[in-house]
Amino acid sequence: MIARHDAERPLFFGADQGLFGIYHPPAVPATQAVLLCPPLGQDHVRSHRLYRQLATALAAAGVPALRFDFYGSGDSAGDSTDIRWDRCLADTTAAAAELRQLSGCEHIALFGARLGGSIALAAAANVKPDRIVAWDPVLNGPDYVARLDALQDSLRIDTRRFNQARTAEVAAGQWQGFTVDARLRQQLAELRLEPPAVQVRLIESALPVTTSADRQRFIATGATVTTLSSSTPWEELERLEMAIISHELVQSASGLLREPT
Amino acid sequence: MTEQAFRFGRAGHLVGIAGLPSAAAAQTGVIVLNAGLVHRIGPFRLHVAIARRLSACGYPTLRFDLSTLGDSAASDESLPRAQQVRADVADAMDLLGKQAGCTRFVLIGLCSGAENAHLVACSDPRVAGAIFLDGFAYRTPGFLLRHYLPKLANPVRIWRFVHRRLRPSRQVAAPDFGVVAPPLGQVRGELAEMLQRGLKLCFVYSGGTSEYFNHRRQFRECYGAVANHPGTTLEYFEAADHTYILEGDRQQLVDTIERWLLLNLPQVTAGGSA
Repeated sequence: MIARHDAERPLFFGADQGLFGIYHPPAVPATQAVLLCPPLGQDHVRSHRLYRQLATALAAAGVPALRFDFYGSGDSAGDSTDIRWDRCLADTTAAAAELRQLSGCEHIALFGARLGGSIALAAAANVKPDRIVAWDPVLNGPDYVARLDALQDSLRIDTRRFNQARTAEVAAGQWQGFTVDARLRQQLAELRLEPPAVQVRLIESALPVTTSADRQRFIATGATVTTLSSSTPWEELERLEMAIISHELVQSASGLLREPT
Repeated sequence: MTEQAFRFGRAGHLVGIAGLPSAAAAQTGVIVLNAGLVHRIGPFRLHVAIARRLSACGYPTLRFDLSTLGDSAASDESLPRAQQVRADVADAMDLLGKQAGCTRFVLIGLCSGAENAHLVACSDPRVAGAIFLDGFAYRTPGFLLRHYLPKLANPVRIWRFVHRRLRPSRQVAAPDFGVVAPPLGQVRGELAEMLQRGLKLCFVYSGGTSEYFNHRRQFRECYGAVANHPGTTLEYFEAADHTYILEGDRQQLVDTIERWLLLNLPQVTAGGSA
């Protein structure tokens, strides 16, 4: 079964119609749908094509999917300075309600990469999905904040990008192209995710970005781990503007998301 | 101002977001083209910032994905790339005409987006202006002097140059946006013809073009009379990178675009000037 691209429906939804999404309907009525939670910042821009490929694969397999942008990101309303952790969780709840209404499916699964995976895990209590598939989720906030700070510091003095190194002042308060509000930064710095009470499937790149201790917390409560054959350049300065592409991830995630419950 | 999502185009294959000011009808619309393979929001959401600022000034805007980019599909027409770009942008102009009453358009594009803006501005009579971000430029004797002379005077730079040549490179290739500049004479002629037709043109170069553009003076070296024409504006942000990764650089660019547009193509609405 092949999903036609012209069936994909771009739409605004949520409070004040401020959230942008694209709904991928299946060719036949379905019983389970998938909500794709995007990462934040440059990870979001880089993984746009991969998310589209995954949504298309799911719809072609008869599973409706909704991609969406958090408030302050992508085509949704707001600026990057408006992004908050709690708002992202609320947006995920709103997107899940929208997906249930569009698809007619009460049963949904969540997918997310990096912070998108973290948000999916944290939103589980409100969204009540059957399953969460998280790819290289950020499980340890303080470690993540430190790494993005270091990357930003390297970026501003990268003379392959700039003719002359830029000052710390002009690069302050930003992570790789996006201004970050101090409150979001604090929320992420305090983030330490605990396993939700739903089925969790972790997908890890060959070189894991998740520490062993964090991963063990999830495995101890029943999460399974699928390891990809290649690493993913999430935090490499030289590849900062290159798309994240992984056919293996699309196949793997699509299979895990469609597993019978 | 409200933003609306559209699926549009001759094959229903294009996806875009229109920013529609509250005025019933406005003469001038702004269309933002893809930069490389990045979907319509632009590098670091630059296109969202530009579109929202201009819509707040009363300009209907459309940021959309060309065929096969971002969320847009193929039109299944088997057109050569140039024809497909022209047809896609024509579809975009039709949409803003229908939704906001626009009859003339300004195209904005970065890198391959500038190349596509040039392509369409050459042939479509509805284009009234264009903003080329890191568009075409050509190395001149002046460029070569400015590029190599400081290196020759600096032994450290000479050593780095030799070292780089001798050592196998581990550097990852930069994204290839597939921009191949036509011959200088052709581009100069096409720009002159645009100006003759009354188009307003704004050229913005960033420091990210330092491999082929490194001084304001170079623009005149390349384009001669085009540079002196009153319809031409030149900006050079030497400190900024190609995709404006720093917020301050992005703000400076968006401010510049807004000022240029208000000065050169002030909005005319159904009830008079905006």
